[in-house]
Amino acid sequence: MENTITNREAEPVAESNDLSLVLTPLEDLRGFLFHHLGRLLLFLITSSSVIAVFLIFFFVIREAMPFIKEHDLIKFLTSKQWYPEADTPKFGALSMIVGSAYVTVASLIFAVPVGILAAVFLSDIVSFRIREIVKPVIEILAAIPSVAYGFFAVLVLAPWLQNKFGFTTGTNALNASIILSIMALPTIISVAEDSISTVGRELREASYGLGATRFETIFKVVLPTAHSGIIAAVILGMMRAIGETMVVWMASGNAAQIPAPWWNLSQSVRTMTASIAGEMGETVKGSDHYYSLFATGVLLLILIFTLNLISEYFLVSAKKKLGKI
Amino acid sequence: MPTSTIKNQAKSDHIDSVVSLSEKKTSSSKSELDCQCPVVKAENFSFYYGSKAGVKDISMEFYPCSVTAIIGPSGCGKSTFLRSINRINDLIPNTSVKGNLFVNGHNVYDKNTNLVNLRQQVGMVFQKPNPFPKSIFDNIAYGPKLQGVKSRSKLQQIVEESLKAAALWKEVKDDLKKSALALSGGQQQRLCIARALATKPNTLLMDEPCSALDPIATGKIEDLIGRLQSDYTIVIVTHSMQQAARISRRTAFFCLGELIEYGSTVDIFRNPGKKQTEDYVTGRFG
Amino acid sequence: MKYNTRHIINKIFTVVTAASVVLMIVILISVLGPMIWRGSSAVFFKSTVEFRKMQLDLHHRGDEAEIGDEISKSEIYRDFIYHKIDVFKKGINTDYYTDRVKQIYRKFSKELQYNGIKGDQLSRRRKFARGIRRDMEKAFKSLDKAEILQIIDDVNKCKGDERIANTKADEFFVLADEYKETIKNFDLSKRQQYAQALKEVEGLVRQLLGPRSDEPLPAMVMDRYGATRVDLAKELLDKIIWKRQWVQQNPDKPMVEEKVRRATQFAGTELESIFPYIEENFDTITIPRFTFYWQYFFDDSTSGHYFGGVGPEILGTLILTVLAMAFVFPLGVISAAYLVECASDNMAVRIIRMSINTLAGVPSIVFGLFGLAFFVLVFIPFFGGPSKPCILAASLTLAVLTLPVMIRASEEAIRSVPKTYKEASLGLGAGRFRTFVKVTFPAALPGILTGVILSLSRVAGETAPILFTGACAFGSVPKSLFSQTRTLSYGSYDIAVGDKIGMLVPHNQYGMVVTLVLLIICLNAIAIFFRAKIFRRLKGH
Ligand SMILES: Nc1ncnc2c1ncn2[C@@H]1O[C@H](COP(=O)(O)OP(=O)(O)O)[C@@H](O)[C@H]1O
Ligand SMILES: [Mg+2]
Repeated sequence: MENTITNREAEPVAESNDLSLVLTPLEDLRGFLFHHLGRLLLFLITSSSVIAVFLIFFFVIREAMPFIKEHDLIKFLTSKQWYPEADTPKFGALSMIVGSAYVTVASLIFAVPVGILAAVFLSDIVSFRIREIVKPVIEILAAIPSVAYGFFAVLVLAPWLQNKFGFTTGTNALNASIILSIMALPTIISVAEDSISTVGRELREASYGLGATRFETIFKVVLPTAHSGIIAAVILGMMRAIGETMVVWMASGNAAQIPAPWWNLSQSVRTMTASIAGEMGETVKGSDHYYSLFATGVLLLILIFTLNLISEYFLVSAKKKLGKI
Repeated sequence: MPTSTIKNQAKSDHIDSVVSLSEKKTSSSKSELDCQCPVVKAENFSFYYGSKAGVKDISMEFYPCSVTAIIGPSGCGKSTFLRSINRINDLIPNTSVKGNLFVNGHNVYDKNTNLVNLRQQVGMVFQKPNPFPKSIFDNIAYGPKLQGVKSRSKLQQIVEESLKAAALWKEVKDDLKKSALALSGGQQQRLCIARALATKPNTLLMDEPCSALDPIATGKIEDLIGRLQSDYTIVIVTHSMQQAARISRRTAFFCLGELIEYGSTVDIFRNPGKKQTEDYVTGRFG
Repeated sequence: MKYNTRHIINKIFTVVTAASVVLMIVILISVLGPMIWRGSSAVFFKSTVEFRKMQLDLHHRGDEAEIGDEISKSEIYRDFIYHKIDVFKKGINTDYYTDRVKQIYRKFSKELQYNGIKGDQLSRRRKFARGIRRDMEKAFKSLDKAEILQIIDDVNKCKGDERIANTKADEFFVLADEYKETIKNFDLSKRQQYAQALKEVEGLVRQLLGPRSDEPLPAMVMDRYGATRVDLAKELLDKIIWKRQWVQQNPDKPMVEEKVRRATQFAGTELESIFPYIEENFDTITIPRFTFYWQYFFDDSTSGHYFGGVGPEILGTLILTVLAMAFVFPLGVISAAYLVECASDNMAVRIIRMSINTLAGVPSIVFGLFGLAFFVLVFIPFFGGPSKPCILAASLTLAVLTLPVMIRASEEAIRSVPKTYKEASLGLGAGRFRTFVKVTFPAALPGILTGVILSLSRVAGETAPILFTGACAFGSVPKSLFSQTRTLSYGSYDIAVGDKIGMLVPHNQYGMVVTLVLLIICLNAIAIFFRAKIFRRLKGH
């Protein structure tokens, strides 16, 4: 804070009987130290998250460096051949990248419509009391740890899928996608609901006042107005799905292949996260394989960082828009 | 809202009764008005939120052992001015001041101001009662404890004195351990006054202390102010001209961040010197 | 559009949105319901006498005399089963008879030598006995009943022959009669088949009843006891009574599973009677009793979680979460305090906020990589610790992971403290530091605690970050911060897919994951409750 201070001799108008309003030099010094050093200290502590992000990038990239230097990055990104432990090892991560994208997109196909509809339901349709009941359901869905979902996928869903649809294996892309969509739902719902309910009451009333039904109001006025926030919600859900490890590791079957034909969800796939989780335990520290897994980690990190920036852009623009209204 | 109804009343012909009311109270003491040294004195004082002025170029003085009212339309900077006196406005980022503001002869915007002592001497009561979510006892003991009073019996004594001074002792003496939030609005506001008194200030700043209260609670607070004025310098911001007329000896009229007129309450309501003041007190403002 | 269609679309839309919420509730129930139902059977179940025996042996739980009593009661019935099996075995496995016959012959020739018979005499008599031995061995090998009976008749004719009279060789005839008796009810053509089937039955009975008391103690603890739970015992009983086999009824069609009574399989043999016997006396053999095995949450487990509980896993999870919270709590609260109280909107603060958001988005497996690359390989060794995965590294990794959760929750809590509190405190002459410590922080504390609980639940459930930084599937209870630990989360993974033994004990599989889920749901419920209370208080009730 900047105060324009005009220093003038204080005229004694009335004598203060108890406390002096003037700081003694010692108090002054103590106050100065307390204020500035304390602030600095707090600032440094607060910077720990910056330091953490920096360290994460630095150390993951550092461990990936030997691989990046020695191998053809283009090949890493475009080859399907992943034979890290062969005599002439091959590091082509394409099938893993495609696998990640595959289960993510498949899960969003289910999670986005359901999530948005549920958000609309919570913000525009039901009473406060029902919302109070449904909210904990969403919170618990979000709180169930991923390993428990993975457990469910392997021991309950996989046998069921296998028996019901006659798949050759129950742990496949479909299984992983179903579970991922359940896990992405709470994120999508809460972010979307936030942005939908911040669309002002006035807009809704204007629309209803012109004779629109609720459906029309929501689709023509509310959702278009809240679209930035909804896009952000979808991206955040996507981040959750891409970054998820235990579920895809346990449920996706872990075959490093690209499904053919491409719509065949009943085939096993392997994602980047599952590949890191599954193979890191078996590698020797310092081997090419070990470094290549860190390179996969870097890829993930870059991906998530980019998505994060995009989602932030949309969230900020959602805020700005509502500021204008 | 109670404030607006009161205002509307004032707008109508009731203004005469208002003036006569204030006359009764203050006419006798007119001679002693100017003979005392001011406790608070502003000299060309301006306060800025960013580049926008909250108050501009205020010069005025507040005198000990009397009640001064600040009136004016909302948004005219009454609160801003009041809150600059004990520098509570420091909390708001991007603010700056110009000019001088003396409390007990010390320019509070000097670098070397002891803010802690300043705020102990200049107590404040806010528009909405804001007791801490603690017991009644702890609320009042908060200030004394800060000053270093540790002994339980001493604290007890201070709490009792302050509650008695704020005319709340009888109502709460049996449940000092109860949460302050359990009190009614008027009691909470008196508790806040008691809390301010417990730090033994010599000045009390009150920012619309009754605007969130019902008429009965308002009456009690006004009585209290009337009793306190013999010991404290009281500055009260109010929306209600009736209230200003009832309790204050001097009145200042603010408009659009500027001090329009300042004088004895009788003069302000009877023979306002400026057209704006007259419009406001007769309800033709707008 | 007509009013009617618009109206109908609107109605449909409402129904669809409601359906999506209902779908979610259904999902939640169908995920949690079966899991909790089956998981609770790890703690509430009907135990058999084998369970109590195991508890007595491994943990000295229960009344020794009473359990001994139960065991001996059950043993009476078991002995009948064992006896029948043994008898039947003799008919199949004629090695027993072959051995006996060889033994008798050896005894016989020793007897002769002992009696001082020598030379010609000796070899003549031995030769005769050898003849009988050979005949009998032939009979034991033969699958033709008529032939066997013929041979035995022939052998019996030698009875009383002077060459062997009044010697040990008399036992030949006893043995021959015994064998005759054994094969009387026995279809010899099925001997091969019976051998297979018996092996199966013996295996199942062993699983049900445990090893026999005269056997040496098996090395693996899981082999030392029979079925400890009535549900498992019932399954085994079913397998014992019914044989399942895949049959191809039609060459074009896939194979079909078929159930056959084992009793019919062994019809006409000694063994036939044990199947109804086991079924009838199931309760007296197993002595079922309802058990509340609360020690499940404290007991260590035998290898593969076959027996025992999840004590070390719970302990490990608690250690990790508490340590992580200890690291992250001060950081989170101070950061939040700075962001609310001191920060203006400058570049540094914007970078801090962006970092927090980034941190919140980093995939958990990347935290695992980071923990390995930084805490395990660099940070802990730098301070002289060992460069291997350990509790300290894992909890530090988890602390970094949960930092954004903690900061956001605390920030929200501190921000929601009414500004008037702060003003009042400052107005009474408190400094900013004191105002924070005495007024703002206490008022924000419930909110901050809610954040702590949510972070705790997040930390407790995370698996990927600790895969390479400190979790292990088996091992002893950790002795220091530098050893690895088992956790509920990693244990749930391991018992579901890592360890094959887990498949044999579904109750323990589900028990583990349900312990984890319930722990987390409880934490969340507490947080939700807390928050509702704060909400109510801020509204002034
Ligand atoms: N925190 C703030 N930031 C920016 N402007 C403010 C702030 N508080 C008050 N103002 C502005 O200062 C002016 C005076 O406000 P205030 O002193 O609260 O008026 P009053 O109390 O007389 O109603 C108003 O125009 C108001 O918009
Ligand atoms: Mg005001």
